[in-house]
Amino acid sequence: MTDKTNIDVDVDQKAKDAYFTASQGQLIWTRFKKQKAAMVGAWVLVILILSGFFAPFLTPYDPTIDGRDKEYENGAPQIPSFCDDNGCSFRPFIYTYERERSIKTNFRWATVIDTDKRRYLVFFTQGDEYKILGVKFSTHLFGVDSGKVHLFGTDSTGKDILSRTFHAINTSMAVGTIGVFIAFVLALMIGGLSGYHGGWVDSLIQMVTDAVRTVPAIPLFMALAAFIPSVWSAEARFLFISIILGFIGWPTLARRVRTHLLTERNQEYVLAAKLCGASGGHIIRRHLLPSFTSYIIVDLVISFPYMVLSETALSFIGLGLKDPVNSLGVMLQNVTKADVLLNYQWYFIPVIFFIVLVMAFVFVGDGLRDAADPYSSTKK
Amino acid sequence: MYQFVRFAAVRASLAIFTLVLVSFIVFSLMELVPGDCAERYLAFKNSQGAQISIADIEAERVRLGLDKPYIQRWGTWIINAFQGEFGDSCILRLNISQLLGQKIWLSVGICLASLLVAYMIAVPVGIIAATSRNPYLNNGLRLVSYLGLALPNFLLALMIMLFSTVMFGDSLTGLFSKEYRDADWSYDRVMDFLSHVWLPVFILGWSATAFAIQTVRALMSDEISKLYVTAAAARGVSGSRLLLRYPARHALSPIINSLGFDLNRIFNELPIVALILTLTEAGSLLIESLARSNDQQLAGAIIFFLTGSIVAINFITDILLAVIDPRIRHSIMG
Repeated sequence: MTDKTNIDVDVDQKAKDAYFTASQGQLIWTRFKKQKAAMVGAWVLVILILSGFFAPFLTPYDPTIDGRDKEYENGAPQIPSFCDDNGCSFRPFIYTYERERSIKTNFRWATVIDTDKRRYLVFFTQGDEYKILGVKFSTHLFGVDSGKVHLFGTDSTGKDILSRTFHAINTSMAVGTIGVFIAFVLALMIGGLSGYHGGWVDSLIQMVTDAVRTVPAIPLFMALAAFIPSVWSAEARFLFISIILGFIGWPTLARRVRTHLLTERNQEYVLAAKLCGASGGHIIRRHLLPSFTSYIIVDLVISFPYMVLSETALSFIGLGLKDPVNSLGVMLQNVTKADVLLNYQWYFIPVIFFIVLVMAFVFVGDGLRDAADPYSSTKK
Repeated sequence: MYQFVRFAAVRASLAIFTLVLVSFIVFSLMELVPGDCAERYLAFKNSQGAQISIADIEAERVRLGLDKPYIQRWGTWIINAFQGEFGDSCILRLNISQLLGQKIWLSVGICLASLLVAYMIAVPVGIIAATSRNPYLNNGLRLVSYLGLALPNFLLALMIMLFSTVMFGDSLTGLFSKEYRDADWSYDRVMDFLSHVWLPVFILGWSATAFAIQTVRALMSDEISKLYVTAAAARGVSGSRLLLRYPARHALSPIINSLGFDLNRIFNELPIVALILTLTEAGSLLIESLARSNDQQLAGAIIFFLTGSIVAINFITDILLAVIDPRIRHSIMG
């Protein structure tokens, strides 16, 4: 009996010890795990990011013009089935299609589907070459035994929309990451300077930041993006757009950094460090920043969807990324045409992925914010 | 009264200072852009068949005053800008204030209307959401506000267009019907305008509404648990009288404060939504000048004007807040 209570006390004590010695990151993680919506969001996010990363393997074709299917332009999504009028099969199949121009089609190119010839789905098939982390592969998760398969249809040049969508996730994430990083560095420098010094430096920087915040960023950067020479390579554009996104995003982050610093700078450990003769930069880097790293990470996650949204918006109006880079905004460039609206609605499939991606980020960001707020549990 | 005037004066000078600072940023950015107005104009002439030499470009620079030092040109620009005079457009060679005229007011009007609609929906809904304990209502609203972020306005516009084209065969674009496009303002034209304008207003207000509901709800639920509300309830005040007279008044003043930034967010979305809905009257000039034609003079004017209206809203809300919120009134009256 006494043994058991001892063990209980021990366990209790251990849990307490664990709680009191836990780092901020561990505490946030414990609270985060309790939130269902945020956890679901996190899983979806991980799956999407991974599928973006392994896009070349998961999707059957090259997303650029090299992987186009000349036989199937503006083609509707093909849904693999197991049965049709000619009987059933254990392997899912799609039908063969051919481009034809004859008197029947009024001498225009038209795609004709031949329901007698089946194309069977095959897995781990060889196809276009691609690189992941510099290593060449040519195995794709699925394909068909002859010809090509387009689960989400194709666009006007015959590029596979499924392949493009998955690659686009990757690009959008990369642009967002670089943008967030740039915004973060700017915010740290400006917010750090402002918050650490306080006083008139702070007032001055805040005044300038507020002035910058009143300028509507998208129209301004539209104006700037218009001056990107059209001869720039896709990579240069990519970098430029990321930098622009970083410049759009920094003021909010800078304000948060400043607030954190303002509350921390009067703590005794800062005074102690100062008395030891540490320089301002050293104190900010070694003492102040680590005290709120976790909060900064939360802020970064929250600002991420805005980056992705801005990129999409800029690319959508043709000022951001362009072919052959695939981003979600690039994929939406053509959808406002009446032709697409009326006849090719599968152009909208990437939108679903986009919404899921942003939603997942928002859920995770919200969950993280609640988890990082030390008062969130006492409030309820 | 004296303190109030002083407060207003300080705010006004701050607003003007902000504008000057913004104009400097905008002007510098427009300067950084490769090429200048003189080159653009003469490039245009060249394409019309005229022979152009370097000397011509130099002469044009002198004519436009582009040879003067940078700070001096900025000074002239900002002084003219405050008088509503932005010079001539680089490409169109037309006076910018004439060119923008009605169009920019229409754009700003649409944005303000959507801001108004957003808050007309968000304030009551937010208050109800904060007070109601109905889990379905709360979760539903949460979902809507998440969607407000994840389904950005331009995607929403696309969805609505897709839906209406498939269902009704009409893509709901433009601000006027064909017959009224160039007509003078008349009763019919206003009616036609109103029958078209609801869609852009709704779409522009969409994410603003979602954000605003979230804010109102958060502020309300912070206030509602405070002691003065309990005290008022104990005195027998109840129902909507209790909500509106006590917590709502406190909760709403931070919202008035953030109106300027909400307007900023709507401005950010205006050009893209305008492009999708082909709002030629309101948006296309924005897009054309900002994006397509490398017209730095016009682009600078538009951005300055948009920023100016945000600064104006910020100023007005500051003053308004001081008038209606006794806490702020007392703090400035000393």
